[in-house]
Amino acid sequence: MPRSQFLTLVTFFGLALVFPLVAPYEALATEILIFALLAMSYDLVLGYGGMLSFGHAAFFGIGAYTTGILLIRVFPSVPVALTGAICVSGLAAAFVGYASIRRHGIYFTMVTLAFAQMFYFIAFKWTGLTGGDDGLQGVPRPNIGPIDIHPEINLYYFILALVIVSMFIIVRVVNSPLGATLQALRENRNRAMSVGYNVDRFKLVAFVISGCFAGLAGGLYALLLNMVPLGSLHWTTSGEVVVMNITGGMATLFGPVVGAVSIILLRDIISNYTDAWSLFMGLIFMMAVFGFRDGIVGFFQNKIMPTAAKFLGQVFPKKH
Amino acid sequence: MNLQFVFMQLFNGLILGSLYVLLALGLSIIFGMLGIINFAHGAFFMLGAYAAYTITSYIIPDYWLALISVPILMAAFGSLCEIVLFRRLYDLPPLYIMLLTFGLMLVLQDAARLVFGSMGVPFGTPKSLTGMVNLGFMYYPSYRLFLIAVTSCAAFAVWLFLSKTKLGCIIRAGTDNPKMLEALGINISRTMTLVVGLGTGLAGLAGVLAAPIQNVRPLMGMDLLVDCFVVVVIGGMGSLGGSVVGGLIVGQIIAIGVMVWPPMANTLIYLFMAAFLLVRPRGLFGRESFHE
Repeated sequence: MPRSQFLTLVTFFGLALVFPLVAPYEALATEILIFALLAMSYDLVLGYGGMLSFGHAAFFGIGAYTTGILLIRVFPSVPVALTGAICVSGLAAAFVGYASIRRHGIYFTMVTLAFAQMFYFIAFKWTGLTGGDDGLQGVPRPNIGPIDIHPEINLYYFILALVIVSMFIIVRVVNSPLGATLQALRENRNRAMSVGYNVDRFKLVAFVISGCFAGLAGGLYALLLNMVPLGSLHWTTSGEVVVMNITGGMATLFGPVVGAVSIILLRDIISNYTDAWSLFMGLIFMMAVFGFRDGIVGFFQNKIMPTAAKFLGQVFPKKH
Repeated sequence: MNLQFVFMQLFNGLILGSLYVLLALGLSIIFGMLGIINFAHGAFFMLGAYAAYTITSYIIPDYWLALISVPILMAAFGSLCEIVLFRRLYDLPPLYIMLLTFGLMLVLQDAARLVFGSMGVPFGTPKSLTGMVNLGFMYYPSYRLFLIAVTSCAAFAVWLFLSKTKLGCIIRAGTDNPKMLEALGINISRTMTLVVGLGTGLAGLAGVLAAPIQNVRPLMGMDLLVDCFVVVVIGGMGSLGGSVVGGLIVGQIIAIGVMVWPPMANTLIYLFMAAFLLVRPRGLFGRESFHE
């Protein structure tokens, strides 16, 4: 892991430790953490894999429903439920990925979207299992060994621990040979194929890893809300994840995290004044596409940092 | 299950299929030329329905006027979107313009919700088309037969336009190779405007036609849109024949699904799509590696 990424991860951890103290309320801080994880998992697919999936809400939602159903029906244990969420979401990602990765570009987007919609309809209609339109109500938060996660602040730190570990793994994946191969595929698919890489298999592996983390994020979301809203599976959730990546900065690892923080905070502020959040979300989308394509992190890296470096270079000229 | 009910369902499938055909044709034309999925297409459909509502209840209560003016208005609106928004992004990867249309969809839907309310507005069957027609083996609402007729005419007109006129020829050439078209000295940006206008006009027409049989509400286009993606995936992207055949197939799958296993009716088309993709990834009439 490069030093700069390690420092960013440590900085993130430091900020996240004190974040609940400054956030408007603790549940919002937790929500931001969860969406930061979701957005970062998606970066593997879009930023590094170059695949515009519009079905990421499916894995998030499946993770949430799996956690909820396991906790309510099967066994009231958070570690078991979250492990289940990761496994089931990973399986779903393997299924969707296997069927959609053979198509590229636009087709890939549409096929992932259609599959996500399929899961949405199943959850919508299978009322006995999922609660249908009302969502899955009454997800408990049992103690984890001696830890009581009922107080919001305890839940926050529990989730923070999981999110940090997940981010650490994602950073490791990106810096691994797999991550390098993915970037090579994204930049020049034909060349990567002619070198002998099995393009589709690498993409599928990235897709599944991403699906697993999205599922974990979903499971944590169920714990936070004590329920699973049907909307978590809807394709507008996928759109929201995409916009977090774009506004934060794709393929910058921590860009999506910055994007998630900005979008969730903005939603909280705007919804204090109006219920037209979707309208603002759409406008943010359009502005991001027009004027902010590198995202916030990209903006700092490409515009602010070079300017600052230039300025510093003038103030403190290098000695020859 | 009696035979009457079966026929009724098959005809209802045809109605749904007709709407899919109109929407998928528009999606497919825009896709062919711009190489993007237009996420705002469902919102254009919804706007068409609301425009029809506004015209018939506030301006002149005449359905026929709405039927003619709304597609023209929507075509103008689509062209405007192309000139003001889409045009600036052609040099970038198609990802960005696609995301732009997604944002546009959210804005239009929420704007409609703020103006007209989220519950939807009532829209009656036009007076001259109420009543039933005796088809010999069953009675069927005349408005629905009218819808099928208009859709067939529209689809035929689009085919005629694209295959027999010079402009249509330019559009088809642009679908294959925009750069070559530009090199031949044809104003490609005007063609793009026209294509987006044409596609949006078709979505608007679908909106007016759907208004009397569907609840006119802000999210009416959103759910239909994803089904239309299934239609174009099955039919083959950029293929007009594929849009027509795919639309009819998907309409029938849903109608049959409602008869056989109602809760799974919507899920069936996705399962069908998945199975179809495994056998024939490019779709029915799609060309290999077209716009990938």
